[in-house]
Amino acid sequence: MTTNNRARRWATASTGFALALSLAACGGNVGGGGSAEGEEFPGGDPITVLVGQDPGGSTDLIARALADEVSDDLGVPVTVENRPGANGALAAQELAGAEPDGHTLMVYNGSLAYITPLAVAEGEAPDIADYEIVTGLSQDDYVLVTAPSSGFRTVEDLANAGRPITFGTTGVGTGSQLSQELLFNQAGIEATAVPFDGGSPTLTAVLGGQVDVGSIQLGEAIEQIEAGELTPIVTFAEERVSYLPDTPTAVEAGYDAPVQQSRAVFAPKGTPEDVLETLQASFQTAFGSEAYQQFNEDNQLTPNEVDGEEVRETWTSNLERYRGVVEQYSIDLGGDS
Amino acid sequence: MDLAPVLDGFGVVLQPTNLLYCLIGVVVGMLVGVLPGLGPAATIAILLPITIGIEPVTAVIMLAGIFYGAQYGGTITSVLLRLPGEASSVVTVFDGFALARQGRAGTALGIAAVGSFLGGTVSIVALSFVAPLVAGFALDFGPPEYTALALLGILLVATVSSGDRLKAVIAACLGLLLATVGRDGFTGAERFTFDNLSLADGLDFVPIAMGLFGLGEILYNLEERHRAVHAPATVANVWPSRKDLRQSSGAIGRGSVLGFFLGILPGGGATLASLAAYAMEKRRSKTPERFGRGAVEGVAAPESANNAAATSSFIPLLTLGIPANATMAVIYGALLIQGVSPGPQLVDQEPELFWGVVNSMYIGNILLLIMSIPLVGLFVKILRVRATILAPITVLITLIGVYTVNYDVFDIGLVVAFGALGYLMKKLGFDPGPLVLAFVLGSLLEDSLRRSLLLFDGDPTGFLTRPISGTLLVLFLVVVLLPLIRAALPRRRADARRDTKELV
Repeated sequence: MTTNNRARRWATASTGFALALSLAACGGNVGGGGSAEGEEFPGGDPITVLVGQDPGGSTDLIARALADEVSDDLGVPVTVENRPGANGALAAQELAGAEPDGHTLMVYNGSLAYITPLAVAEGEAPDIADYEIVTGLSQDDYVLVTAPSSGFRTVEDLANAGRPITFGTTGVGTGSQLSQELLFNQAGIEATAVPFDGGSPTLTAVLGGQVDVGSIQLGEAIEQIEAGELTPIVTFAEERVSYLPDTPTAVEAGYDAPVQQSRAVFAPKGTPEDVLETLQASFQTAFGSEAYQQFNEDNQLTPNEVDGEEVRETWTSNLERYRGVVEQYSIDLGGDS
Repeated sequence: MDLAPVLDGFGVVLQPTNLLYCLIGVVVGMLVGVLPGLGPAATIAILLPITIGIEPVTAVIMLAGIFYGAQYGGTITSVLLRLPGEASSVVTVFDGFALARQGRAGTALGIAAVGSFLGGTVSIVALSFVAPLVAGFALDFGPPEYTALALLGILLVATVSSGDRLKAVIAACLGLLLATVGRDGFTGAERFTFDNLSLADGLDFVPIAMGLFGLGEILYNLEERHRAVHAPATVANVWPSRKDLRQSSGAIGRGSVLGFFLGILPGGGATLASLAAYAMEKRRSKTPERFGRGAVEGVAAPESANNAAATSSFIPLLTLGIPANATMAVIYGALLIQGVSPGPQLVDQEPELFWGVVNSMYIGNILLLIMSIPLVGLFVKILRVRATILAPITVLITLIGVYTVNYDVFDIGLVVAFGALGYLMKKLGFDPGPLVLAFVLGSLLEDSLRRSLLLFDGDPTGFLTRPISGTLLVLFLVVVLLPLIRAALPRRRADARRDTKELV
């Protein structure tokens, strides 16, 4: 009986080790198998898509929706890996260090390219010049909301409040903060920023009247807006948002404050031209699929499937433009920028 | 009260996947309950990476199962082997083992199982009524209220928890300090990041919990020479007799209620509840001399209380987002990983998750009641697995597990560092619990305080003019001042208190 027990014990132990070893082996393979010179891309090797945000957020969902389609098209597994941290800078850093063979990509947030640099010290935000841009993806709009009980309906109401107002932002160096700073500075409204940790806490604070207003990504607030629990004041889009046809844009209301969250697919610098072309073609196929289009609609995302160079131009000019207005109104997005 | 979401919750639990994970949770819980050393907090911390791939509700159902399952498991070894598997089952040893020596091990286990079941059930029912009540105030909870809550939570954790009070405060301060690491969310300034992007968002909760609770415990246990396991007492006739039930019914009732309240209290939890319930029964009893010699009440009271407390400690977590003890802090971490932030709005925003988890506890308790007796023999055998085999496997699982969370080697380094810290803390008599809790509540405290001051335009009296935060701050003062006032008054109750002390 004792021997029997011991044998069983060793069996259990070795199963544990075998499992551990095989797991470790798998870990070593991921992203490591660069295809040899001259071989057809993608070969048989999987593609990893890095996401600089937590699982479940909009960026993550977009990456996963695309991964399925691209995987079907290229015939290799496409896995999404989350490397949350520092507004996505951590993932961008990893991408910069990855082999430029098209097997490591990243869904890159526009805010990291044109807002974060204004909020953090020089050199802390990555420079988009250090990457290849495969394709643009979509845009997410910010909407200024308030609780119905506040009585505010327009920007004028806020200006005529007769007291300083408070506004919730989804964090420092985000589009939520920039959009409101731009609006309130131009409108001459005395306002205090209260940063929260992401969209959902900001939403709760606005709903509970803890802050007067807040700027939130449309997809996160649409349910409450449709239920009448939140009043939309303006959107920060360039043109009226198709999902909120009755809400004016800040531009229409007379303020130069267009701020959008934009997303694009990035690859490491030096990725061969033909690999990029194969990827571009595959993403185009993905954009055309019904499932992906439905996904965009369900999440209130506006497609912005332009080519890489256009993304680079827009984002670079955004950064310059925001840097200009931020200086003009001496807006302080961060502590020591 | 609207019953529809409650019933939907049952629908969620009864899905085969959730039932399976509930079963896995309670079995794993019983297992670690049996194994001395490895507690539920450590187990849940080690298993955190597994939960990432599954649905939030399923994950929490499993983790909760581990927690209350451990309370059952700890009883078995206490009674049969005089070896408490869990701190919360230490007092069960006194009368449980005495009963076993009288050949009434079955009675002790049976009473413990019935008491645990009833204690757990009382708490679940109360939880079902209390949580929506608190949720009604959800939107009134703004930054000032969270500031007051976090302050109260950290204070209670540091003062109410068992063990050395000064050491608990020191550990809590260390936790608060660790919480300041990372990019300042208000100014973007870097704090203690040493230009390392892995530290930009602060220290991650998972490696800290896995290091302190998981690795630290394993290292500490390696020092202990494992006692030879005696042959367990034979178990016959587990159904307690009518007489036993009548004798212990009062103890079960009182234990359940006491456990429920002590579980809600931050810093309370199962261990404190079982100690207090035992002490109360002994004091109430007309024949206190029977205690320690095989009194059925001496098993019934602490076992009802620890299960009631294990369940009710979910109340502050699920309704306020404030973890009441170390295990809840780890479950809090699990929820955050899943993208669910626990707080007053949870019941409304995620009714499926909330009621799914609450209702899974009914099912889990029934599963435990059915399983606890037939599996006794198996669990006793598990005790024979030597630490030399168990420890390296657990370490390996811990290290691989933490890597799979973020695929960041940095996290492995963190686990090792915090494992060493956890080991040293245990060795020097520091409880890592207050550290982890203060770490979790630290960022909440800082952020809420700074948000509040922005809202109040820098005027701190704003905290007192809001009804909820004002009340909480008064409560805070009472907790701070009460021990001082007590110390100043003549020590009339010194005798009664000594009685409890002995047990600790």
